[in-house]
Amino acid sequence: MIGSDNILIKSGTVFESSSGKEIVSDILIQNGIIRAIEKNINVEGISKDLVVLNCQNYFVFPGFVDMHVHLREPGNEEEEDIGSGSRAAVRGGITSIACMPNTNPPVDREYLVNYILSKSRLIDFKIYPVAAMSKNLEGKKMTEIGLLKEAGAIAFSDDGKCIQDSKLMYEIMKYASHFDLPLILHEEDYSFSNYGLAHEGYYSAKLGLDGISPFAEELMISRDIMLAKMAGAKIHITHVSSKGSITLIKRAKEAGIKITCDVTPHHLYFNDSFLESYDTNLKVNPPIRSEEDRKALVSAISEGIIDAIASDHAPHFEAEKNTTFKDAANGTIGLETLFKASYTKLVREEKIKLSKLVALLTTGPAKILNIKAPAIKVGNKADIAIIDLEKNKKIKKEDFCSKSKNSAFIGQNLYSEVVYTINNGRLEFINKSC
Amino acid sequence: MLSTKNIISIDDLSIDDINLIMENADSFYEVLGREFKKVPTLRGKTIINLFFESSTRTRTSFEIAAKRLSADMINFSASTSSLKKGESIIDTLKTIQSMMIDLLIMRHSDSGVMNFIAGNIDVPLINAGDGKHQHPTQALLDLYTIKKSFKDFKGLKVAIAGDILNSRVARSDIKLFKRMGMDVTIVSAPMLLPENLEYFDSNYVYDIDKIIEDIDILYMLRMQFERQDRKYYPSIKEYNRFLSLNMERLKKMKRGSLIMHAGPVIRGIEISENVMNYAENYSGFKINTQVTNGVAVRMALIYLMLGST
Repeated sequence: MIGSDNILIKSGTVFESSSGKEIVSDILIQNGIIRAIEKNINVEGISKDLVVLNCQNYFVFPGFVDMHVHLREPGNEEEEDIGSGSRAAVRGGITSIACMPNTNPPVDREYLVNYILSKSRLIDFKIYPVAAMSKNLEGKKMTEIGLLKEAGAIAFSDDGKCIQDSKLMYEIMKYASHFDLPLILHEEDYSFSNYGLAHEGYYSAKLGLDGISPFAEELMISRDIMLAKMAGAKIHITHVSSKGSITLIKRAKEAGIKITCDVTPHHLYFNDSFLESYDTNLKVNPPIRSEEDRKALVSAISEGIIDAIASDHAPHFEAEKNTTFKDAANGTIGLETLFKASYTKLVREEKIKLSKLVALLTTGPAKILNIKAPAIKVGNKADIAIIDLEKNKKIKKEDFCSKSKNSAFIGQNLYSEVVYTINNGRLEFINKSC
Repeated sequence: MLSTKNIISIDDLSIDDINLIMENADSFYEVLGREFKKVPTLRGKTIINLFFESSTRTRTSFEIAAKRLSADMINFSASTSSLKKGESIIDTLKTIQSMMIDLLIMRHSDSGVMNFIAGNIDVPLINAGDGKHQHPTQALLDLYTIKKSFKDFKGLKVAIAGDILNSRVARSDIKLFKRMGMDVTIVSAPMLLPENLEYFDSNYVYDIDKIIEDIDILYMLRMQFERQDRKYYPSIKEYNRFLSLNMERLKKMKRGSLIMHAGPVIRGIEISENVMNYAENYSGFKINTQVTNGVAVRMALIYLMLGST
């Protein structure tokens, strides 16, 4: 069954991309291409090797796009590689990812972009490389933005780091605006985050963890809004964490600045009270903030200020997390929980529309990256996630297929389970426990 | 018996636990006054003093306490080597656990490390200070010292002066003092305080002169000017003007009021040279008494954790 490109999806609740409507329908896929979306498709006479997936109780979504992923290849393949990362993605119903350049060496030259693209073709999985804005991610000298674009980079970012030199940032913005590619910005003023381990608030005071003020993020967002306005650049603020940041982005959007933003499932799901356990899987940057901030992020989704949800999938091997909170590395894995965690929190708890969530995981990020969004349409190559929305399971460490197991969601009860994933026209994942 | 296996935070102890520790400390204090300062209570028990951070008084105090109870006490000094450089902390702890010990006393420079360790080993644990988080035995010995001078804790006016932000002593003491009904005022400055003071639930003044005449207890915290993350405080001169104890302020203090400090005192910063020299003549000066009481309180705690059945 796995690997088949002749598939009949029987009686699934289909999320039609053009109308956004939910209709119970069959979908016929032949040679990887969606041929028909109709009720009771007659398959008589169609090839014998047709795989029939009975989907009466399942939802059929376009494959998701995760625009913020750390694949760790090249350089840290013991934590994740392009192969294992894409398997984890498919397991999460994701069929396109953008990968961040902070590998070893960082993706700051053409041959590294080529390397990722050739691997992507080899494993037949859509990986869009994001290239570094500054050489070696040092925040000192601009990379060859034009050449990197020609090699296939779809955006630029120093993610994990923030360029502190404002003049350099401005020059990058001006130059990048010629190429019409977005700059994905991790916003952090180091003078406000030095030594910091947790959101500065009640819990950092209680737990004796040095605080990271929301100013760390908000000051740099303010700066970059000013610079982008002058430079005419397209900026994307990634993993927005604070209420103040939302206010700034909202105003900038109203003022016509080309700004977009994403949030992570972990910032939508947790607040800093979860740190009482000193669970190092919750050590992330930007930090998990207060309940007030978390609520502001959820409201921003309702109001349409957030353009995408992205996982910031950050694999770390066990020893980097199984240590003291101070010594532990920043980051949580997130590919396999991207939909589950967002769906549980936003749709089940906060009563946000399912169609809104799906847009934030498909058309939203695709538009930012200027790539084609997977859509369930006749004539398209099939990129499809089939999901059981009623399943509720406690997340366990041993359930992840990512090479690293550092998930913030271990121990949480999450709704939904991906049952099948069709990637690039082929059935690529079957969940045996469903 | 105490209601908790590990003592990581002062909040781990119930009021009954605290009263029990205070009562037992009285008995052990009496032992310290004897010519033969030792009881056989914990013969055959093995205690490890595992210090990842340098310490003289706390480590020695625990060592003396254990020895006066006839337990075997082994000091284990370890450096906080990061995992890239050497053995991981969890492997060090597993090694020590394998030596079949009865109690682990530990200090480390990272906040929350005890919570992490307690989740990974079975041996009972006393936190002898973790980063900026907690130092519960200091709070207990401070409470014991106060108890010996006042009939009742309720309504006692305590001022805690100095670097609250970076102090594990403040986090443990303020919580305990508040629980016992004392009225706590923080004397500090914004750069020495957390942005959010809600957790401490205390009054706050920036100038020691505003409260010096009214308080029953002045508790001074150590100010480490040399630490990089404390660079925002302007100078020692500024500190002396607003936060230090000098002769003039000492004279304004109420009769019977106490001066306390977790030590080591840095002369000329928290407390002036003059006051330190004059201290022996002033019965309210408790800094050395705290050290003596610390041995009695730690004996009580170790006894209640290992010996009372």
